[in-house]
Amino acid sequence: MADPSAQASLQPRPQQTQPSGTAGSSAMPGSANCDPARPGLSQQQRASQKKAQVRAFPRAKKLEKLGVFSACKANDSCKCNGWKNPHPPTATRMDLQQQAASLSEPCRSCGHALADHVSHLENVSEEEINRLLGMVVDVENLFMSVHKEEDTDTKQVYFYLFKLLRKCILQMSQPIVEGSLGSPPFEKPNIEQGVLNFVQYKFSHLAPKERQTMFELSKMFLLCLNYWKLETPTQFRQRSQKDDGTAYKVDYTRWLCYCHVPQSNDSLPRYETTQVFGRSLLKSIFTVTRRQLLEKFRVEKDKLLPEKRTLILTHFPKFLSMLEEEIYGENSPIWEADFTMPASEGAQLGHPTVISPAAVSSTPSFNKSISCSSSLGAMSLDTAASEPKTGEKRKLPEALTLEDAKRIRVMGDIPMELVNEVMMTITDPAAMLGPETSLLSANAARDETARLEERRGIIEFHVIGNSLSQKSNKKILMWLVGLQNVFSHQLPRMPKEYITRLVFDPKHKTLALIKDGRVIGGICFRMFPTQGFTEIVFCAVTSNEQVKGYGTHLMNHLKEYHIKHSILYFLTYADEYAIGYFKKQGFSKDIKVPKSRYLGYIKDYEGATLMECELNPRIPYTELSHIIKRQKEIIKKLIERKQSQIRKVYPGLTCFKEGVRQIPVESIPGIRETGWKPSGKEKCKELKDPDLLYNMLKNLLAQIKTHPDAWPFMEPVKKAEAPDYYEIIRFPIDLKTMTERLKNRYYVTKKLFIADLQRIITNCREYNPPDSEYCKCANTLEKFFYFKLKESGLIDK
Amino acid sequence: MTAQVGSKSCVTMALVSADTKISELLTELHQLIKQTQEERSRSEHNLLNIQKTHERMQTENKTSPYYRTKLRGLYTTAKADAEAECSILRHALDKIAEIKSLLEERRIAAKMAGVYSDSDPPRKTMRRGVLMTLLQQSAMTLPLWIGKPGDSPPPLCGAMPASSDYVAKPGDKVAARVKAVDGDEQWILAEVVSYSHSTNKYEVDDIDEEGKERHTLSRRRIIPLPQWKANPETDPEALFSKDQLVLALYPQTTCFYRALIHTPPHRPQDDYSVLFEDTSYADGYSPPLNVAQRYVVACKENKKK
Repeated sequence: MADPSAQASLQPRPQQTQPSGTAGSSAMPGSANCDPARPGLSQQQRASQKKAQVRAFPRAKKLEKLGVFSACKANDSCKCNGWKNPHPPTATRMDLQQQAASLSEPCRSCGHALADHVSHLENVSEEEINRLLGMVVDVENLFMSVHKEEDTDTKQVYFYLFKLLRKCILQMSQPIVEGSLGSPPFEKPNIEQGVLNFVQYKFSHLAPKERQTMFELSKMFLLCLNYWKLETPTQFRQRSQKDDGTAYKVDYTRWLCYCHVPQSNDSLPRYETTQVFGRSLLKSIFTVTRRQLLEKFRVEKDKLLPEKRTLILTHFPKFLSMLEEEIYGENSPIWEADFTMPASEGAQLGHPTVISPAAVSSTPSFNKSISCSSSLGAMSLDTAASEPKTGEKRKLPEALTLEDAKRIRVMGDIPMELVNEVMMTITDPAAMLGPETSLLSANAARDETARLEERRGIIEFHVIGNSLSQKSNKKILMWLVGLQNVFSHQLPRMPKEYITRLVFDPKHKTLALIKDGRVIGGICFRMFPTQGFTEIVFCAVTSNEQVKGYGTHLMNHLKEYHIKHSILYFLTYADEYAIGYFKKQGFSKDIKVPKSRYLGYIKDYEGATLMECELNPRIPYTELSHIIKRQKEIIKKLIERKQSQIRKVYPGLTCFKEGVRQIPVESIPGIRETGWKPSGKEKCKELKDPDLLYNMLKNLLAQIKTHPDAWPFMEPVKKAEAPDYYEIIRFPIDLKTMTERLKNRYYVTKKLFIADLQRIITNCREYNPPDSEYCKCANTLEKFFYFKLKESGLIDK
Repeated sequence: MTAQVGSKSCVTMALVSADTKISELLTELHQLIKQTQEERSRSEHNLLNIQKTHERMQTENKTSPYYRTKLRGLYTTAKADAEAECSILRHALDKIAEIKSLLEERRIAAKMAGVYSDSDPPRKTMRRGVLMTLLQQSAMTLPLWIGKPGDSPPPLCGAMPASSDYVAKPGDKVAARVKAVDGDEQWILAEVVSYSHSTNKYEVDDIDEEGKERHTLSRRRIIPLPQWKANPETDPEALFSKDQLVLALYPQTTCFYRALIHTPPHRPQDDYSVLFEDTSYADGYSPPLNVAQRYVVACKENKKK
C-alpha cells in the first residue's frame, strides 16, 4: 500500500544534535588512497583511535587524566605541576578499564587532593575538555617519540613540542610554535604552484588525454611529497659534502613542526609540505627523494592498480627528469611569482566542464562554480589543491576506458566485427520490429525514466552548498531553502532546525534535483576527503514525485561526482524505511572502511543501521543500467546466431525444479559443442581426479559434522522455528544438504564446497544477532573448517 | 507473456482468438481512418464553394434569390458531409472501445490463469514505477465522452455519479475503502473481481499487490471510477467545481485522499489541480497537485474524521 507519508522518511532521527567536539575540529591526515608513499598512516589511526577512546570516558575519568597535567591550586606555595596517582597502575600501560580515581584522592607528590588539581576545569565545556584530552594523548605520544628517536636533531624538536603541548594543557591555550622558525608559508611560490606551472609550461601543447596523464603524475608527486619523510640534517650533511646544511636544518625543523608531526598529532596546526615550502627545499631534497620514490614504486609495483602501474612505471621517471631540469636549471620560468601561460592553452586545465560523462550537450548540468566553492577550503589541503582542477579530473573515466581498450583480448572472445554487426542491428530502427516498450515492460530499469527526463531537460541535477566566505547567488539560496523544505516534509521525524543547520552548513553539500526550476529532491552529504569517505546525511524525494526512479538517478549522479573527486566510499546511518532504498543503490551492512576512519566523523544515530557503498571508478553509474541492457541485447542476438548455426536441441534442465540450486557449467548437455571450455588450470587439475577430491571433501565434512559447535547447522532451518527465515535468507544451506550434494557428486570443484560452507556462516550471521549463541557457534566453526581446509591443502596458507 | 501463461490450453486458445480479433479490428480501424480522410477531402471542395459564393455575394453587395438557393443547396450538402464524417469517426471510436475491451478481457483472462495455475511459480510483482506509469497511461487513454447535440453526460462521465443500482463489472477500477493492518480506514485503488447479488458484496483486488490482497466489501465501500472524461468545453457541468471536496489519488501512490478542487481542467486532456488535506503543511493543505479526471471521485462523507 502506498501511503505518501510512510514511504517518505529516508533518514533516522538524530540521537544527539552533533557528536561532541571530535568531528570537524580536527583535520586528520590520511586518505582512502592506498598509496605506497604514505608512511605513518597507522600511527595517525592509532592516535585518533586513542583520542576517540579517551573522549568517550566518563567525566570523572577524563578529569583524572587531565589532572596528571594540571598544576596544583591548593595554595600558592604548592609547586606541584601535575597530580600523581598514589596507586599507580600495575601494568606499564594505563589500563583503560580501570576505575576512575575519586576527587578526594591525594597526590603522590604534593599530597593535595585531585580536586585541587582540576578545580580550574569545573566550568569548562565538554568540547574544551575534549580538546585538552586530545593534547594529552598527543603529549603521551610525543613522549614516546622522544624516547624512541635516535637522531639528536629530531629528538630535540620532539622534546620542544612535548614541552609546548604540556604548557598549553596547563594554561588551556592554543599551541603556537615560537622562535626563529618564522611562520608558514616559508617561500613563494610554493612547491605545488611550481609543479603545476611546470605541467602547464611543458605539457599544455599535448593532446588532452596526455596532458591529463601528466597532470595526474604531478598530483601524485605532490601527494607523495606531502607524506614523504625527509632525511635528517645529519644524513643531509653526509650526502652533500659541500653544503654545510644550516639552511636545510632550519627547513627540516619547520617541516617537523608544521607538517610531519601534525600529521599524527592534530593538536598542532597542520600544513602541507608542498604548500608552505618552495623551490629551496625542493632543491635540497629532490635528488634523494626522487631516487627513493622510484625505488619504492619499483618494489611495490605489484600492489599498484594496473592502470596506475603503467602510468607510474613508464611516465613517472621521465616526468621527474624533466622536473629536475626545472628545479636546478638557471632560468626556469616556473618559479616566477607571476608565471602565466597564454590563456588559450592554459585555460583548458582548470576550466570547469560539465559533470555528466554522457556529455549530452542539451543536458543542464552541475553548477561547478558552486560545487567547488570555498566551502572545501577548510578541508585537507590535498583536495584544496586539486579542487580548482576538477575540469581535468573529470576526464579520468575517459582515460580509463582507453586503458581498457588496450586490454589484451581474451582467447575465444567474440570477434569485434561480429559485435559491431550486432550493434548495428539492434540500433537500426528498420531492423527491429515492435513498439518501443522499454518504459512499460516490467523489467525496465528503475532509472530509465529519470535518465530520459534528464536528457530532455525536464529534470536537472546540481551540486550546491552554502558558503560563508563568498556571497552565494540568490538562486542557490532559494534552492537550499527548497531542499530544507523537501527534507523536513519527507523526514518528519527529524527536527527542522537540525535539517536547516546541516543543509546550510558550508561543509555539507547537497545534490539537488530540480524540476521546473523547483527543488523536488536531493541528497545532502558531507565529504571527508582526509578520511576517504563521504557521509550521506539526508536523502529524499518529494512524495508526489516518488517511484519515478529519481532516487536511483540521484544516487548514481552522486556516485559519479565522488569518483571525480576520488572518494570511493559512502557511509550512512539508514533508518528502517531507508534500508531498502540503500540496498537497491548498492549499499550493504558490511562495512569495509575501518572504524577508526569514520568514528568521530560521521553523525551517529540511535536505532539506525550503518551502511556502506563502495564505488568502482570504472563504472559510469548513471549509464550503467542502460549499458547492461545493451549488453543483454547483444548477448541475446549472439545466442540467436549461435543457435541458428548449431541445430541440435536438448531438453531443458530439470534439476533446478528438483531443488538443486546450482550445477557446474560443464555438466549442461551440449555446452561443450558451443565451443565453451572450462577456464583456469586449477579446475583442469581437479577434474583429473574427481575421486580424490570426493574423498577429501567427504572426510572433511565428516569432521565438521562432529564438531561440538556444528549442531545449529546440521539440518535445514524449520519454518516453524523461524517463520521469516526463508524470506530473509535467499540461499539456505546446511550440513545435511551438503552431505546430499556431496553424494550426488555436486562438488566437482573445491570452490563449490567452500562456497557452501562459507554460506552457512554468512547466513547465520545475517539472520542472527552477532552476540547470539548461533553466531558464536558459527565463529568457532568457521575457524575450525578454515583450519581444516588449510591442513588438507585445499586452500593456501 | 502468452507462452508462459499457456499451461492451460483453453486459455491459450482464447488468447489466440482474441489476438486475431484484435488484429481484424485494427485493420478495420485503419480503413475507417482512411475513409475519414477521403470524406474530408471530398467535403473540402464543397466548403470552398461556400466560401467563394459568400465572397461573390459580398462584392456584388446584394443577396439575389439565385445565391440564396445555391447557398441552401451547398449548406445541405456540407451538413450531410459533416454528418457522414462524424458517423465514421464515431464508428472508429466504437472500434477503439471494442479493442480496449478485448484487451481488458484478455488481461483478466491472463490474470485468472496466472492466479489459478499452481504449477507456475508465483509471478513477480511489477516494479512500482512501472505500475505508476501504467496508471498514468490508463488515465490518459480514458475516452472522452462525445455526446450528440442535446445529450446530457451519462453517469460515470467525469463527476457524474453512477446510478444507485449500478454494479461495477469485473476488471473495473474502483476506489475501495479498506481496513489497513493497523485498523485505519483507507481508500485504495482496486480492481473489481466479482459482485455477489445475494450478499450485495464486492470482491476487489488491491491494484498494488495484484492477486495478493483480496477484500470483500459492501457496496457503500466502493466508488466506481469515471469511465469517460468530461469535456470542459462542452460539458462543464460534468466536472467538479472549485473548492468542492473530493477523493483524489495522491500522485505516485495508489491511495485516495480527501482534497479540495483548486482548479478544474480547462481542456479535455487537462488534469484537475487539487489541494490535499495534509496536516504537515501550515494551512492544512498541500500545494496544488495535478490529478487526472480518472482518479477524482466525489467524497461521500463530509464530516471530518
